[in-house]
Amino acid sequence: MLEVEGLDVGYGPSTVVHGVSFTVAEGEAVAIIGSNGAGKTTTLRAIAGLLQAGAGRVNFDGHDILGEAAHVVSRRGLAYVPAERHLFGGMPVHENLALGAHPDKPDPDRLRQVYDLFPRLEERRNQTARTMSGGEQQMLAVGRALMSRPRLLILDEPTTGLAPKLASEAYAALSTLRGEGLTVLVAEQQVPLALDLADRGYVIEDGRVELDGTSEQLRGNPDVQRAYLGIA
Amino acid sequence: MNPAVIFDGVVDGLQLGLLAVGLTLLYGLGGILNLAHGQIAVLGGITAALLLDAGWGALPAAAMAVVAATAAGLVLDQTIMRPVYRERGEDRILLSLLVTLGVGFVIDGLLVWRYPSEALTLRVGSGSVEVLGITMRVGSLYASAITIVAIGLVIGFLRATRAGRAVRSVIEDEVGAELVGVNPSAVRTLIFGLSGALAGLFAVTQSMTSPVTSSSGVSYTILALIVTVVGGLGSATGALLAGLILGIVNAISAAEIGSYITSIILLAAAALTILVRPSGLLGRTE
Repeated sequence: MLEVEGLDVGYGPSTVVHGVSFTVAEGEAVAIIGSNGAGKTTTLRAIAGLLQAGAGRVNFDGHDILGEAAHVVSRRGLAYVPAERHLFGGMPVHENLALGAHPDKPDPDRLRQVYDLFPRLEERRNQTARTMSGGEQQMLAVGRALMSRPRLLILDEPTTGLAPKLASEAYAALSTLRGEGLTVLVAEQQVPLALDLADRGYVIEDGRVELDGTSEQLRGNPDVQRAYLGIA
Repeated sequence: MNPAVIFDGVVDGLQLGLLAVGLTLLYGLGGILNLAHGQIAVLGGITAALLLDAGWGALPAAAMAVVAATAAGLVLDQTIMRPVYRERGEDRILLSLLVTLGVGFVIDGLLVWRYPSEALTLRVGSGSVEVLGITMRVGSLYASAITIVAIGLVIGFLRATRAGRAVRSVIEDEVGAELVGVNPSAVRTLIFGLSGALAGLFAVTQSMTSPVTSSSGVSYTILALIVTVVGGLGSATGALLAGLILGIVNAISAAEIGSYITSIILLAAAALTILVRPSGLLGRTE
């Protein structure tokens, strides 16, 4: 469904991501793991159309999407949830969700599903997004992305700023979505959570894919254990 | 104090609000401060004046004022503003200031050069009527009614339509809007056109109470800026509210102290607002 090949991305003259390649197949959950500053966010932003790539190819559902504007990519069915969330802070929950459905296509059935997944959002439907807690904002960001019935959901660090309990809850929701057949790509520093969710993973260091394999293989890898799982 | 003063203030204030709505929406939409706004209004006004001279009726001429100002806004958006959109954040604000300041000078210079003594004066109805015991000029009533309807339509459009919601999404968070499939540049074009249309309409309503001369563009721009700052950048309702407050302040100070002091008082009101509430009356507090 998503094929990334030889992606180079940088800011100005400095390249941050060097020849990154990976794939996500339909129905799969894939994790990109790596430490802060490894190039995960840069990679995802380029795929979502928020950042110009220097070289490479990104194919989504048979279309070359690299170089397309973010709003075009979004309308192709690729929903990106950035770590900073970019919610419409001054608008209530229900308006954020309505906009997520793409402003020209209201979708009451989908709204019902999102409220069923995150009952908290329904309780707070009239609350202004800016005044909600971090965990609620994260739910809203995911909920807004789901409103467009995406074929692929890409999340960047969905646990940013969340207490451990809320982080686990966020992943529980993602796991429910997986169960419903949604294809998920997640970049994460909290490696144990990400590997529990994902079928496969890629380890990115210094802007390069250093390692890949099934979640099982990565969990068993001594380097991964030492660097990301806190096992000596 | 004569209550008619307050009434005059409200009439003026509505005009100020109408002038500022276009400016404030455009600024909210990712930092484009259009310093040619007043000049675009005058461009529309002088277009109508020339058509009146050529024998057109008042209504079609007024309609052409709106058309001309809308077209000016759209042309700006499609041409000279393109490089501005490529910048983000403060760079964009600064570049938009410089570019539109230049455009404003050009429009102003051309109009004053070609039509130095041209002015738009629309005579609607005649004389005056009594409203609530206050004598009002018919022109003021028409101007106020048109303005209230126009601002009401804009606020209704923003609040209740899907396109309006898309506009607000870009004002709230441009990246967020892109991520849900809204094209910010299409929204900007829409608002540039709308902003021009409102400026043209302002020239029409303004000309019902006092002449719109070819050289009044700069002062309109400054008034619009003051109202926008007080009302809060990006808020249409704020622009209306600030327009009303400043209109009343203006009318009272003109009546009680003297009209020479009113611009100082308006600027002081703007300065005070920035000190007390930097984001304006209804501006977004981050």
